[in-house]
Amino acid sequence: MLPLSLLKTAQGHPMLVELKNGETYNGHLVNCDTWMNIHLREVICTSKDGDRFWRMPECYIRGNTIKYLRVPDEVIDKVQEETSKSRSDRKPPGVGRGGRGRGDIGAKPGGRGIGRGQDDGGRGSGGRGRGGVGGKGGNKGGGRGRG
Amino acid sequence: MASGGPALESLVDQVISVITNDGRNIVGTLRGFDQATNIILDESHERVYSTKEGVQQLVLGLYIIRGDNISVVGEVDEDLDARLDLSKLRAHPLKPVIH
Repeated sequence: MLPLSLLKTAQGHPMLVELKNGETYNGHLVNCDTWMNIHLREVICTSKDGDRFWRMPECYIRGNTIKYLRVPDEVIDKVQEETSKSRSDRKPPGVGRGGRGRGDIGAKPGGRGIGRGQDDGGRGSGGRGRGGVGGKGGNKGGGRGRG
Repeated sequence: MASGGPALESLVDQVISVITNDGRNIVGTLRGFDQATNIILDESHERVYSTKEGVQQLVLGLYIIRGDNISVVGEVDEDLDARLDLSKLRAHPLKPVIH
């Protein structure tokens, strides 16, 4: 499964994005592209230290500034349906150039299948328990000025 | 395995350990990756090391980590890992990568 397919599937879902400068953005994903540029709505931005907050109706984040994205667990279960539908008739954006040399889009090497291969039991219980994201010292780079 | 050499294909659906450029250690199940080494980590948690107390595990869940921010991807021996007593393990946290 491609990370960008998962991201695409997460459209409409809430997510947390941490940038390389340590700021985090919480919001609902409106759209994304193959560069990982993302458009969020109903956003709460948190400073690197976690002590300042900004609310904004929407924002657009350039992909290359992203450190990681945290998406709801259930999104990964929705990807499969979409890829198995679309894999046969259309290349997902961003593949087909160099790298893995999949000449044959339909055939998955190694017979690995796309099922999750394990039961979901055991997770999904309780909250996702964040805390400390953004509050973790240790990365450099000061905040950018923001109006 | 797909052609193209030492890709992460052989680690898919296995537990891996990722060291990020900011010095974090994230452990989770590899669900996917791409040419840019962006990776999908499922059921992931962060291991926070300190010299004062045992290793803290923070539950993170489903993560997409951008390749830019990844230093090392390591295979985890789950049996061996399960035998670790993290509460007794002391270690210095990693420093961020200096570019």
